[in-house]
Amino acid sequence: MTFQDLIFKLSDYWSAQGCLIQQPMDIEMGAGTMHPETFLRVLGPEAWNVAYVQPSRRPADGRFGENPNRLLKHHQFQVILKPAPDDVQDLYLQSLEACGIDLRAHDVRFEEDNWESPTLGAWGIGWQVLYDGLEITQFTYFQQAGGLDLTPVSVELTYGLERFAMSLQGVDNVFDLEWARGVKYGVVRRRDEIEQSQYAFGQVAMPEEEFGQFHRNLFTQFYDFAGTLLESGLTLPALDYCLKCSHVFNLLDSSGSIGVTERTAYILKVRQLAVAIAKAWTTPPDAISALAETGDAPPVVTDRRESNHGS
Amino acid sequence: MDRELLIEIGLEELPASWLPPLTEQLGHTLGESLKAHALPATESIEVHGTPRRLAACVPALADRQEDRDETLTGPPVSAAIGPDGQPTPAGLGFAKKQGVEFRELTQIETPRGKYLAFEKKSRGRATVDVLPDVLTQLLRTLPFPKQMHWDAELHDGRGELLFGRPIRWLLFLYGGRVVPYTISRTALAASVKVQDVTSGAVTYGHRFLATSGRAGRAIKVRGFDEYKKKLAENFVFLSRLERRDRIMRELDGYARKVGGHVMLQQSAQAEALLGEVPDLVEYPSVVAGTFAEEFLSLPAEVLTTTLIHHQHSFPIVDPGGALMPAFLAVTNTQGGHDKGIATNASRVVTARLRDARFFWDADRKVGLEARLARLDTLTFHKKLGSYRAKSERVAMLARWIATDVFGQPEEVAAQAERAGRLAKADLATDMVREFTELQGVMGGIYAREAGEPDGVWKAIYHHYLPVGVEATAAPARADLQGAEVTWAAVSLADKLDTLAGLFHAGARPTGSRDPFGLRRAAHGVIRVLADLEALTGLTVRPTLAPLLGQAVKGYGAGEPGHVMEDGAWADLTGFLSERLAYVLEARGADRRNVRAVLSGSVDRPVADLASNLAALPEVAGSESFLALATAFKRVRNIARELPDAEWDEQEQHGPSLGDVLKDPSELALLAEIDKRSAVISQAVMTGAGYREAYVEASKFEPAVEKFFTDVFVMADDLPLRQARLRLMKRLERLILQLGDISEIVASE
Repeated sequence: MTFQDLIFKLSDYWSAQGCLIQQPMDIEMGAGTMHPETFLRVLGPEAWNVAYVQPSRRPADGRFGENPNRLLKHHQFQVILKPAPDDVQDLYLQSLEACGIDLRAHDVRFEEDNWESPTLGAWGIGWQVLYDGLEITQFTYFQQAGGLDLTPVSVELTYGLERFAMSLQGVDNVFDLEWARGVKYGVVRRRDEIEQSQYAFGQVAMPEEEFGQFHRNLFTQFYDFAGTLLESGLTLPALDYCLKCSHVFNLLDSSGSIGVTERTAYILKVRQLAVAIAKAWTTPPDAISALAETGDAPPVVTDRRESNHGS
Repeated sequence: MDRELLIEIGLEELPASWLPPLTEQLGHTLGESLKAHALPATESIEVHGTPRRLAACVPALADRQEDRDETLTGPPVSAAIGPDGQPTPAGLGFAKKQGVEFRELTQIETPRGKYLAFEKKSRGRATVDVLPDVLTQLLRTLPFPKQMHWDAELHDGRGELLFGRPIRWLLFLYGGRVVPYTISRTALAASVKVQDVTSGAVTYGHRFLATSGRAGRAIKVRGFDEYKKKLAENFVFLSRLERRDRIMRELDGYARKVGGHVMLQQSAQAEALLGEVPDLVEYPSVVAGTFAEEFLSLPAEVLTTTLIHHQHSFPIVDPGGALMPAFLAVTNTQGGHDKGIATNASRVVTARLRDARFFWDADRKVGLEARLARLDTLTFHKKLGSYRAKSERVAMLARWIATDVFGQPEEVAAQAERAGRLAKADLATDMVREFTELQGVMGGIYAREAGEPDGVWKAIYHHYLPVGVEATAAPARADLQGAEVTWAAVSLADKLDTLAGLFHAGARPTGSRDPFGLRRAAHGVIRVLADLEALTGLTVRPTLAPLLGQAVKGYGAGEPGHVMEDGAWADLTGFLSERLAYVLEARGADRRNVRAVLSGSVDRPVADLASNLAALPEVAGSESFLALATAFKRVRNIARELPDAEWDEQEQHGPSLGDVLKDPSELALLAEIDKRSAVISQAVMTGAGYREAYVEASKFEPAVEKFFTDVFVMADDLPLRQARLRLMKRLERLILQLGDISEIVASE
């Protein structure tokens, strides 16, 4: 199964389960959780079911396209089911079957792995799903986001697409993955990995201090403007700028431009923004809430078959 | 009539580490809940746990609560019946509250007078009606290390039901019939896809395996025997012991097939893994994987950590004890598909090892010392700065311990300082950032690769040890060869610095919260000091207070009192004292004896506490010593009348006691003290001869007893009174050198 076939299979499967198929967020981010379709939609009482691919950038993980298992940018397939259905584990396992896995012939296990994001003020309880010892999915019951308790509880499924595809294709080097028939992952992405890694580690024609200062300034500008947007009641644009802050912080970190005390202070700032945004989202100004009410009711997972507790 | 109670809570996968304690708690909690509902189990409760179920069976449970007769006390008769003999409103009110007529009430005598009473006879309720309340209490009180919201609630007035993982089914049978029970879902979540959990007569087998029909279908059961049988047929080993046995057998067989054996005895990590895997699976099978021989050039520590910690797999060693390029993984499958699973698992292990080799090569190229600069960006504690600063403090403290405490020459001190400075550098290596559990070990290996001498690299390698109070927690003497002294210096310096710093920052442990592992650090310090001679061959006997004081100085210039607030210093020394007691008791000493020898403990050599404690029980049983211990309490009470400063003053400048005292009994006691103090002081000074010292001390007893019989200390004659107080204080001080022996007769 090619990389893109895997995306199609998962999209088809979750679409058939009643999920809205959304598109990636068009701003750099470290994980699909930061996409408003997750970070904001898990807040508040409304049901919401959505799935999307999110390219996820982690500057510190850059390896110049040389490491067969590590990427600066990888792809997550993200599913949010709110509220978490009773048979969510079965639904998830069937998604693996939809991708061609014979559950009886492999060792699929749920092993404890709770998730936490200090910058988002979010955490949850759950597992990493192991497929013959390989972690292919993070499975999380969200308990808090933006510092707010969540009712009802959402479930977040995050498939690591490259890893999953490598295992399905039986390849040992991510760049040997078939993205489409006859087109290797390396052809599509290697140059991006090399250049982005160079940037992430500060290998830029600019003195080191200037590089750091430039990004510090960016952070400050994004941060201040996010505050202005919040004051203007513009929650979604504010989230855009919060994400920009988070990414610039990651770059400052990967390029070694910040020291210990600064680092903690930056994390705290992003977190403060995230918390303020979550609060603003759940208590929108009247005008916005009136607008929201004219929209259609969110999709609900269709009751495809009776609930059971096995596969 | 007695009937069987069977409860199975069906869950999404529980964390493996919770299962053994949780299963035990299940029996305990259910027993408590039954007792609280007047339904005590007559036979022991059988409990089981797998990742997806917690099951309990009470073989015989009475079908009705016992009838209960109780006397309920009302208001005093004087208030309940008026002077006219008629019931007052208070009397009528009590009758109404009990739902009876006033004339049905009786009167009882109490120490406070006559009271109105009601003899209530309650007929026991049918068990089946009480069991829902029993389950509610069970669900509410099962202790999980961490609970989660899952949109569930109970109708017991307390609302939301938090639990360890979501409950997916409830098997709840009494005498073969379903006990009706419902866990509701909160209004915001309840829907077609989120439904109430109602009790039933069904269970579920293995997620993926079934002998017939669809895996994971509901299976009807009527009782415990059938339940066990059906689960066995559906690929669930209910018994943890059976799962463990099966794993052991298969591991053994597979390892033998490749001509080796499973690495177990040599590795605490592997043993811990064997304790964990039975709780990760319901139907264990083993598959064998391999990796390329080229990876055997990696340090064994890296290989085993990759396999055990990251892949939950068992390394295999050849008959000579060397690692083989193979591993064994425990899976939750039936077998028959080994090859595919093994291929995948080998691929994962290979990817990990390739990462590890990349780190290994990169880190060695950079060198350990060059990593020190990166420690600047690693926070030790937000109020205490970076690991770079900690490294400097540890280096200086390790040097000071080597010279000033251990009395070592400059070359040893220089090695201790160097090891102390480099000890944390591996936190900035690529390997440790990825394999955090290798911290210390990895730094040691890199130091060795860089050509550092034994005294440096071995000290780094083992500096986290000892981590606990167990005998195995310290490195073996053979492993330390050539680095015994530097290791002790660095191990102590690191832990003392952490303790001093975090108490300085106000982060002392509270209750079960100890995020910085300060208890463990304290236990480590105490172990090194208590066993110093056995571990290092050093015969010095350090005391805690100066070590702590020096560690505190690392955080700023000046004396302890100046750097650290007095309150924090008292907390710190009190904490160490408390930990000393814990370690000594964990080593089997009697609690009262520990309290006796612990007085002023941070100012005594730690190693002496153990020899003191070893000697004390030998004499503590003798009648004369017990009598002395009893009398000693009185001695202490009297001695308290003379303030310390005044005593010091009088001992130095006051009249000689022999000139003032006149009663033959007190002169006899004075002579005894003069005669025996040498042996006692000698024992305390050298740390040897505690037994003789105690024997000597117990000889005081007749003189003390005679003194108390014949002499009244608080005489009107002031100089005489002062002299007698001084005598008491002298005796107190002498015996306190050994310990506060009054503790051994204190009530628990």
